[in-house]
Amino acid sequence: MSIVRRTALILTAGAAALLALPILAAADSGAPDLDALLQHLARPAPATTPFVEVHFSPLLSRPLIVSGELVYSGPDSLARTVEKPYSEHTEIHGDEVSVVRAGGKPRTFSLQRAPELKTLLSSFSALLGGDRQQLEQSFTLTVGGDDAHWTLDLTPRDSRVSQRVSRITVNGAAGSPRCMTTAAPDGSLTVMLMAEAARTQVPADIDRAGLEKVCH
Amino acid sequence: MRGSARLTALLWLALLAGAGLVIHHSLRISGDLRLFMPAPRDAVGRLLLQEVSEGPAAKLLLLSIQGAPPEALAATSQKLAAALRADPAFGFVSNGEQRLDMVPDALLPYRYLLSPTLDSNHLDADYLRDQLQERERDLASPAGTLLTPLLPRDPTLELIKVLESWEPAHQAQQLFDVWFNPAGNAALLIVQTRGAGFDPARQQTAIETLRRHFADVRASPAMQLTVTGPGAFAVIMQGRSEADARVAAVCDSVGMVLLMLVAYRSIRRVFLGALPLATAGVCGLGAVAALFSSVHGITIAFGFTLTGVALDYPIYLFSNEQPGVRPLDVARTVWPTLATAVAAVCIAYLAFLVSGVLGLAQLATFNIAGLAAAGLCARYLLPRLLPVGVRDHGTGMLPTALVSLSSRLPRMPWLAPVIAVIGLGLVLGIRTPWWDNDLGHLTPVPEPLLREYETLQQALGAPDVRYLLALQAPTPDALLAREESLSRQLDGLATQHVIGGYDLASRYLPSSAVQLRRQAALPDAATLKASLTQAAAGMAFRPDLFAPFLADVARARTLPPLSVDTVAGTPLALTVGALVQQREGGWTGLVTFTDVQQPQQLAALAAGSHGTIQLLDLKQAAEDLVANQRQRILASMAAAFVLLIVVVAVTCRSLRRMVRVVTPMALSTLTTLAILHATGVALNLFHLIALVLAAGLGLDYGLFLERAGREPAAHRRAVHAVTICATAACVVFAVLGSSTLPVLRSIGITVVLGVACNFVLSQLLIRKEHQ
Repeated sequence: MSIVRRTALILTAGAAALLALPILAAADSGAPDLDALLQHLARPAPATTPFVEVHFSPLLSRPLIVSGELVYSGPDSLARTVEKPYSEHTEIHGDEVSVVRAGGKPRTFSLQRAPELKTLLSSFSALLGGDRQQLEQSFTLTVGGDDAHWTLDLTPRDSRVSQRVSRITVNGAAGSPRCMTTAAPDGSLTVMLMAEAARTQVPADIDRAGLEKVCH
Repeated sequence: MRGSARLTALLWLALLAGAGLVIHHSLRISGDLRLFMPAPRDAVGRLLLQEVSEGPAAKLLLLSIQGAPPEALAATSQKLAAALRADPAFGFVSNGEQRLDMVPDALLPYRYLLSPTLDSNHLDADYLRDQLQERERDLASPAGTLLTPLLPRDPTLELIKVLESWEPAHQAQQLFDVWFNPAGNAALLIVQTRGAGFDPARQQTAIETLRRHFADVRASPAMQLTVTGPGAFAVIMQGRSEADARVAAVCDSVGMVLLMLVAYRSIRRVFLGALPLATAGVCGLGAVAALFSSVHGITIAFGFTLTGVALDYPIYLFSNEQPGVRPLDVARTVWPTLATAVAAVCIAYLAFLVSGVLGLAQLATFNIAGLAAAGLCARYLLPRLLPVGVRDHGTGMLPTALVSLSSRLPRMPWLAPVIAVIGLGLVLGIRTPWWDNDLGHLTPVPEPLLREYETLQQALGAPDVRYLLALQAPTPDALLAREESLSRQLDGLATQHVIGGYDLASRYLPSSAVQLRRQAALPDAATLKASLTQAAAGMAFRPDLFAPFLADVARARTLPPLSVDTVAGTPLALTVGALVQQREGGWTGLVTFTDVQQPQQLAALAAGSHGTIQLLDLKQAAEDLVANQRQRILASMAAAFVLLIVVVAVTCRSLRRMVRVVTPMALSTLTTLAILHATGVALNLFHLIALVLAAGLGLDYGLFLERAGREPAAHRRAVHAVTICATAACVVFAVLGSSTLPVLRSIGITVVLGVACNFVLSQLLIRKEHQ
């Protein structure tokens, strides 16, 4: 599979990750008990949430910031739309993925070609469905902090997934999640602000310490 | 047996064993099918033979791993591929994985010369700005991590464009990065062996190595590896031939011992009867080993089969023993007949020496040497080992019954003409196909194995094996340039759905003109640096991030164009090497196709090329080759028949007697042909060889019976000899006819039919004249 196609696949995985966040946002309890937390995170489709994503990379002198909207319309149907600073639309229906970037040709392909990404996606579906058992098949789950500032860590069990994502951390304050941080083995880091936090005005030269403040 | 006779026999055996050992060590056995093909007369024929015997396709093994969930299969596929790539026994290993590290570092700067980007774009500020913007957006996605290692060196993702353009038009479906069958329950790999496809010994080693690697890397013992392909077939067929031959050898040995015991009631004669056979085998093999550099496995197998005629010689000697007559005197009496039989067959085989088919020439050498040695052995060695006769075998129950039966039958002067007319009527009258032109039937592979192979081939999207275009040019670069202009025509045919897709060398390796044109379009270092700075202005990329990119472009500007010679040792070498080949006087390029819908359009394209492009229909070429080979064999057989008649006529010193000897044999051959034809058997090389053997045996029967003359006792002894000879031949070849291998079966059945006809007809047509 080409890197270009793989890029698009991971974009969709990211979309699924984003999808999990609005659900977290809907949770009304900040209890660090895992079962209780997951119960509160579960949310039926359809659901829509705005997001802001901040990307740090060893190749960049300042972070890239994009914002847009996520739509979850059922277990096999996801859409991620980037609105600023450019427009890009990604949709997943079953195993079919399509990506359209402004001014570019739509690219479509099948998720069958990289089932490890399917694993990632279905895990987020499990998160949305409050299905701890399925989630724990793919990730080691750790809850930390207290009711006021909790943290949910997801560490991939599958080595194929961990080549792409080393850890996902969800931060929440009281009854609502605020950030999802995805760390990759190459040192890059993506912080997604959601729900309340997505309304924050993020300065273009924000650093990681600045984001920490927003998340907590 | 007297002491000295026993010593002589043992010495002779020791001599044979010693000679056999020496020959065994000096013999080079080849599995090259071309030994049994006529020398090709045109380029298509040469190409076909090359493809068949040592072409890249013949060296490919298709592997399928089953018996576990897809993810585990994929992991094993990757480990197996890695192990095989590290093993020098294998050339090219592919399981669908596309890895950037497959392109060696030295080849990376060539990406600007190989990719079509520069045909329509310049690496100026505008283009670079578009590209960098796209890369920024790629990085602003969770997939950014994948681009991290690549971006500083290749911000336009040129390498990925090149790799994508190299992907086959039709690929197997991919799961977990590797090829799978459509059902998704078997991981697929393609492996190229170093040894030729039709070299069973090397293929067997390769397959064993392959299975060892698989056993090392498989995740669970439940995982199964299937290996298929021409090489795997060669190994399977060799194994089965050997197994069948072993069974046949045991059955034949038991049958012969019993038959000789019943016929001569003497263990000594059982043993002595085997001596000329062993002598024939050793001498035949020795002659071939001495005269030819390598011997085809088929020559050896058929050689031993055909020298089975040599069993007739001791039988004739034993059957002519009489009480009180010294064996040497018996031998002296029967020698003229025996010598005629040996000489006639040997001289007939001379025709095969000049057939132009190397395998047939080897077969002829084997038989001439073997049969001459067996004849001399029966004349000069056996009588010295035999005691004085005690029994007249002609007075036994069987010959007496046979003679009295045939003497009660009325004279039937109409018999021969009637048989000839009926035989000719059947042969000429029935409209079933005469000849089997399928080259594949020369190494017949059981149907289920072929189906398994075809299924995998389809799943892997392997190209159509029937049609090819061939282009010639004096230099590889001229060839690539021609292919580039041909590509434009083929693109047109693809959009008209005449073909599904095509593959040729210039897709991977553009001509030097195209590469130089792209090279000339590359900006110089200062210009590129300025454009890049301008393009990246306001973007988030670290300053100096793209220094490796600038270095690569600067290097690409000075590179000599990549050529057929310089791709050696890179992943391109195998792909390009399979599609471009150096032949005498120039270079030939091949174009392969997938899904050819209208071959006549390809033919029209070739016809309109003024001879620069040829359409190869490999199926047609294979059939022509077989037909051509058969014509030569038929010509050889006709020449052999004429030689045989001349020898018999000369030794009989009478035209009438010659006719009496040859008629049963000629009619039997006709009858056998008629029966095979009437039962719908399409004839191939093996049927023809079997017919030659049956005719050789029939000639013996005719000679033995005719030469016995008018003396009743001598006639009965000849009847005894012929009966034992025919029974022996029928036993041996009936065993062969029950083989699971179509080749052995067709030989066995043909010989049994021929021998039975020869036996009956010689008895009927060569009766004692005044009875």
